[in-house]
Amino acid sequence: MLVQLAVSGLALGSMYGLVALGYHMTWATSRTLNFSQGHVVMVGAVVAYAAHVAGGWPLAAAVAVTLLAAAAFGLVVERIAVRPFFRAGSPVWLLATIALGIIVENVAMLAFGKDARAFPSALALKPVFVLGAGVYPQELLLPVVGVALMGATQLFYHRTFYGRQLKAVAWDSEAAGLMGIDVPRAVAVSYALSSVLAGVAGLLLAPLLNVSPTMGTLIGLKAFAVAIIGGLTSAAGIVVAGFLYGLVEALVAGYVSTGAREIVGFAVVIAMLIVRPWGLGGARPARRV
Amino acid sequence: MTPAAAWLVVAAAAAVVPLLTANTYYLYLAMTIGILVVVAGGLNVLAGLTGQISLGHAGLYAIGAYTAALAATRLGLGFWTALPLAVVVTAIIGAAVALAALRLSGPYLAMVTIAFGIIVEGALVEWVALTGGPGGIFDIPKPRLAGVPLALSRYYWLVAAAAALALLLTRNLARSAWGRALVAVRDSELAAESLGLFAYRVRTTAFTLSAAFAGAGGALFAFLNGYLSPDSFTLQTSILFLLTVLFGGLGTVAGPLVGAVALVLLPELMHQFVEYRLILYGSLLLLSVYFLPRGVVGALARRRGVGSAAAGAAAAGGSPGPRPGRGPGPPPATAAPAAAGPRGGDFVERAHRPEHTEAGGGPAVLHAVVLQLTGVTKSFGGVRALDGVTLAVRAGTIHSLIGPNGAGKTTLVNLVSGFDRPDGGTIELFGEPVGGRSAVRIARRGLARTFQTPQLFEELAVLDNVLVAATGPRLGWLAAALAGAGGDAAATRARADDALAAVGLGEWAATPAADLPFGHRRRLEIARALAAGARVLMLDEPAAGLAPAEIEALDALLSRLRAAGLTVVLIEHHVELVMAISDRVTVLDEGRVIAEGAPAAVQRDPAVLAAYLGTPA
Amino acid sequence: MRRGLLTLLVIVALAALAGAPTAQPAPIKVGLAAAVSGGSAASGEAIKRGLQIAIDEVNARGGLLGGRKLELVVRDDEGNPQKGVTIARELVERERVAAVFGGLHTTVALAQVPVWHELATPYVGTWAAGTNITRNGKKPNFVFRVSANDDEVDKFLVRYAAERLKRGRPGLLLENTAWGQSNEAGLTKWFGERSVKAVGIEKFNWNDPDMSPQLLRLKQGGADVVMLVANAPEGAQVVKSKAKVGWDVPIVSHWGISGGRFAELTGELSEGVVFVQTYSFFGKQNARGEAVLKALRDRYGVKGPEDVTAPVGTANAYDALHLVALAIEQAKSTDGAKVRDALEELKAEYAGLIKTYKHPFTSEQHDALTERDYIMVVWKGGKIVPVQ
Repeated sequence: MLVQLAVSGLALGSMYGLVALGYHMTWATSRTLNFSQGHVVMVGAVVAYAAHVAGGWPLAAAVAVTLLAAAAFGLVVERIAVRPFFRAGSPVWLLATIALGIIVENVAMLAFGKDARAFPSALALKPVFVLGAGVYPQELLLPVVGVALMGATQLFYHRTFYGRQLKAVAWDSEAAGLMGIDVPRAVAVSYALSSVLAGVAGLLLAPLLNVSPTMGTLIGLKAFAVAIIGGLTSAAGIVVAGFLYGLVEALVAGYVSTGAREIVGFAVVIAMLIVRPWGLGGARPARRV
Repeated sequence: MTPAAAWLVVAAAAAVVPLLTANTYYLYLAMTIGILVVVAGGLNVLAGLTGQISLGHAGLYAIGAYTAALAATRLGLGFWTALPLAVVVTAIIGAAVALAALRLSGPYLAMVTIAFGIIVEGALVEWVALTGGPGGIFDIPKPRLAGVPLALSRYYWLVAAAAALALLLTRNLARSAWGRALVAVRDSELAAESLGLFAYRVRTTAFTLSAAFAGAGGALFAFLNGYLSPDSFTLQTSILFLLTVLFGGLGTVAGPLVGAVALVLLPELMHQFVEYRLILYGSLLLLSVYFLPRGVVGALARRRGVGSAAAGAAAAGGSPGPRPGRGPGPPPATAAPAAAGPRGGDFVERAHRPEHTEAGGGPAVLHAVVLQLTGVTKSFGGVRALDGVTLAVRAGTIHSLIGPNGAGKTTLVNLVSGFDRPDGGTIELFGEPVGGRSAVRIARRGLARTFQTPQLFEELAVLDNVLVAATGPRLGWLAAALAGAGGDAAATRARADDALAAVGLGEWAATPAADLPFGHRRRLEIARALAAGARVLMLDEPAAGLAPAEIEALDALLSRLRAAGLTVVLIEHHVELVMAISDRVTVLDEGRVIAEGAPAAVQRDPAVLAAYLGTPA
Repeated sequence: MRRGLLTLLVIVALAALAGAPTAQPAPIKVGLAAAVSGGSAASGEAIKRGLQIAIDEVNARGGLLGGRKLELVVRDDEGNPQKGVTIARELVERERVAAVFGGLHTTVALAQVPVWHELATPYVGTWAAGTNITRNGKKPNFVFRVSANDDEVDKFLVRYAAERLKRGRPGLLLENTAWGQSNEAGLTKWFGERSVKAVGIEKFNWNDPDMSPQLLRLKQGGADVVMLVANAPEGAQVVKSKAKVGWDVPIVSHWGISGGRFAELTGELSEGVVFVQTYSFFGKQNARGEAVLKALRDRYGVKGPEDVTAPVGTANAYDALHLVALAIEQAKSTDGAKVRDALEELKAEYAGLIKTYKHPFTSEQHDALTERDYIMVVWKGGKIVPVQ
C-alpha cells in the first residue's frame, strides 16, 4: 500500500508543482497571480478533448492547439484582470482573476456540458506493476514531463536573454523599463507561459481525471498552497513542495482517512504561513522603506 | 433628499414589509437580505475600512450557525442565549485566525482565509458526531418570545432589527477614532506605525469584529431555516459575501445593504437565465472591480460631487471613510483655527506638547544630547550600508545629514526610527536604548519621521491624517466607538488644528490627502509629526521636488520648529538649505562619517568636497 | 387621415381581442425544484424532460378539470438547501403551483420538508432517495416519492449480494454526502439482518481522482464484494482504481452511476458492474416506453437509449406527473390538501412507464416504488441489460 500511495501521490504532486510553477512565474515578474490558474488546467483538458476526442484531430495537433489556447487565455487574463490593476498596488487583481475563473468555468459548463467525459489514452488503459503497486503508465508520465518542464523553465529564466529580462522586471519594473525592457509585454508573456504550464497539466491529467468543467477548482487551490509552501519566489522550493504535498496528501488519505486529506493539507498551509510565510525556498523579505 | 431622510424611508419601508404581505416567499427573501446585510456589514469593516480581503468568511458564518444550532438542539438553549453564544464563539475563533494570519497581506492572507474556510467546511462534513456530517442538523426549534414561538413575520422584524443594528454599528465605527485608525493602517501601514499604531493589533481587532458579525448572521440563518447542512458554507458563499460588499461599495455604510438587495433579488428576477447565474456573478465581480471601485454607493456619491473640499464637509451619507474629525462634543470655538497662514511659534508650541508621549513630561533641556548613535553598523547581504557610525544630536538644534546617494542616510533613519534593526552598535533616544525596538514603540517615545516618498493616508482628509497622529494609540474602547461615542476629545481636535495651522495647511483641512498638491504633501507629514507630539523629528529629504518659494517656506518652518524647542534631524541633498539652516552637519560617505561640525567648516572640508560637494574648478 | 385612424383602431381592437383571455381556462401550474445549473444539472434536465413529456400528453388529451392545461414552472435549487427553501416558497406563494416535483439532492429535499407542510402543498420526489424524505414523521404527510427509497434499495442490493452472488464479506464504498450517509445506515442495517458486518466502510468526495487507498484497505480487510454508492464520475474512478490495484471482486452499485457517462468514462472496465434502476430504456419497451423514447427523440433530439442521460430521472418524473394529474382530477381541485388526500387514496389504476400503479400511496407508505419494482441491470458491452 505504501508504494501505491507514494507513486500516485508523487504523480499528482508533480502536477501540483507544475501548476504552482505557473503561479511563481507571474509572481516573479509582476507580484501578481492568476487565481484562475486551476481553471486554465480545465481549459487545457477541455480544448484537448474538443480537438482530439470530439474533433478527431491527431494528438500532436490537439496538443498544439491546446497550448495555444492556454497561452491565449493567459494573455486574456493579464489584459483584463491584471494589467488595469498593476499600478494600483491593491490586490484587486486577486478578485478580478477569481471572477474570470468563475466565468470561464461556467462558460465551459454551457459549451462543454456538465457531464464528465473520458479522454482515452493508451497509457491509461492497463496498469503496470511497480514494486507490487498497480500504476497506470500515464501516472508515471506525469512526473517525468513535469520535472522536464520545470527544468526547461529554469533554463529559460537563467540561461536565455529574454528569460533574464523577465527576472529583471521582477526585481524592479521601473528600472527594467528604463533599461528598455518592455514591461507590459514581459508581464503578458509571463502570464502566457504560466498558462501554458497549466494547460500541459490539464492535458496530462485528462485521461486520469476525466474532463469536466469543475475539474480545475480544487487543483488550482492546492497548487496555490504548494506555491506558498514552496515559496512564491522560489522555483526550486515549489518543485519540492509539489512532490511533498502530493505525497503527504496520499499518505494521509491512505493511513488516516480520506476525509482528513483536505483538512490536513490546508492546515499545513496555514501553519506554513504562520511560521514561515516566505516558504521553504524563499527568503525573508526586507521591508523597503 | 438628505441621507438621513433616505435612511428613514428605507427603515420605514423595511418595517412595513410584513404588514403588506403574508407571502412567506417575500418575507423569506427579505430575511435573506437582512442576514446578508449583517455578514456583509462585518466584512465591510474588514475589507472596506481595513483593506483586508477575506475569502473565508463562510467558515465564520458556519461556526456561528452551527454553534447556535447545537446550542438549541443539544443544550436546549433558547434563541436569546444561543445567538450571543454564537457571536462570542465565532469572535474567539476569528481572533485566533486573525492573530495567526494578520501579519500577512494580499494573496497570503487570501490563502489563509481560503484554507480556513475549507478546513471548516471539511470539519462540518467529517466531524459527524458534532455536526451531523453531510446530513446536517435538523429540527432547530423556532425562537420563542415569552414562551411563544415566533411567527415568520415576527422573526422578520428581528432580522430587520439586526440588520439595522449592523449598519448602525459600522457607521459609528467608521466615524470614530477607531475607524480612522483602520483606514490609516490600510492606507499606509508604515505611516501608521511611525505614529504609534500597531497595525497588527488594529487589523486583528477589525477581523475579530467582522467575525462577530458573521457569527450573528450565522445564528440568525440557523433559526430561519430550522436546518443546517455543510452545502451552505462553501468557498462560493465566501465569494458571494465579498461580492456583496464590493458591488455595494467597499467602506460605505449603505454598501452592504445595496449589495445584499442586488445579489439576493437579481437571481429571483432572471429565472429564464438561471444557467447563466454564475456567469452573471463572475461578471458582476469583474465589473465591480473595473467600473465601480467604490461600488454602487460610492459611484453615486461621487457623482454628487462629494470629492471636493467644500462639499466634503457636508458629505452625503454615502461618502467613503470617516468624515473630517467629526465627533460628539468639540465645542464650536475650536473649529476656528482653520484660518490661513502660519501664526508663529505659539501654535507649534501648543501642537507638540509632550504630555501624551510615553517618554514623560518635562521641557527639552537645550543642548542636551537627545539622540546618540555609537558605532552603529548595518549590512545588507554583502553590502556595508553603515560602518561604525557615531553621531550625537542635541536638543533644540537642526542637525543635518548629507552625503552622496548610497551613503547610508536613509538606512540610518530607518534604524533610528525602528523600521530596521542595527547589526551592531547602540542607539539611544533620550538616554534610553532603542536599537532594535519596533517602530511603534520608538514613535511612542517621541520620535517621528517622514518618508522619502510621503506616506499619507490618501483616503482620509488632511485634518483626519493629522487627527490620526494626534490620537495616536489612544483609540478608546471599541465598544464606545461602536456605540457612537468614539469621537475626538476637544484637546485632540485642538492639537490637530494647531499642527495644521503651524505648517500652513489650515485651509486644506477637508481635502482628501490624495488630492493635495505635491509640495503640500510633505508639509502634511510634518504636521502629523507635530500633532503626534514628537520632540525629535527626522525628515527624509523634505525639500526634494519643491519649488524655490516652497523651500523658503520650509526653511521658515524649520526655524520655527527649532525655536519651539524641537530637535530636527534633516536628511537632505539641497545643500543651500542645509548650510543655511543647520546648527550642525554630519557627512556620510559609504557608511562612514567623514566629517562633522558647523556648516561653514564642513563646507570647506576637503574630504567632503572630494566625496560630495565637488572641488571648485 | 380618418380612414388611417379607423384602420388603426380596428387593428388594435382585433389585437386586444386576440390577446385577451378568452374562454380559455387558466392553466394549472406545477413546479419543478431541482438542480438545473452546476454539477448535477444533467439530473435536473432529465427530470424536466420526463415531466414535460407527460404534461404534453395530458394537455393533448384536453388538460385537467375541464380543459385547463398543465404548465411547468422550473426553479433552480443550485443543490443548495437554503436556495431550495427559497424556491419552494416562491413556487407556492408566488407561482401558485398545485404540486411540486423534486430533484436529485437529498439535502435540499430534507430542507424543504417543513415548507411543504407549512404551505400545505404536495411534493413528489422524482430522484432524491434519502429515506427520511418520505419517512418524515409528519401527519398528514405532504411528501410523496416516485423514485427509489434508499432503505428499500439497500435491502435490494444486500439481497442480491448475499443471495445471488453469495458474498458474505462486503466492503462499503460511499460518497461522503447525505446520500452516502443515508445508504450507510441502510446497508449496515440490512446486512445486519443477515448477521453480516461490513469489512470496512470507506468514503470519498466528489471530484476525487483516485480511490486506491480506500480499495486497498477493503482488499486488505478481506472484502469479497464492493457495495458502491457513487455518481458516474466518481464511480468511474472507483472502477479504474480497482483495476489499477489489480483487485478482482464484483461491484454492486446504487443507481448513481447511471447519472452520467459511466460507460464512456470506464471503457471496457464497465463490464459486469451491476446496479439498480427503477427503469431501463434499453431492451424491449412497453407502449409507454416507446412513446417516451419517441418524444425524447422528437423534442430533444435524443438518438437512442444510450443517449438518454440520467434515465431514472426521466422515467420517475414521467410517472410522477401522471399520478399527480390523476389525483388532481380525482380531487376535482388544485387545493393542496385535497390533492394530497387524493394521492393517498388514488382510485384510478395507472398503467405507467415503470409499472402499473394500483393505489400507490397509503397513509403509511409514501413511496410508490418499492423493492419489488426495482430491477437489477448490468453493463454488458457498453449497454445496460437486465440481469438474468
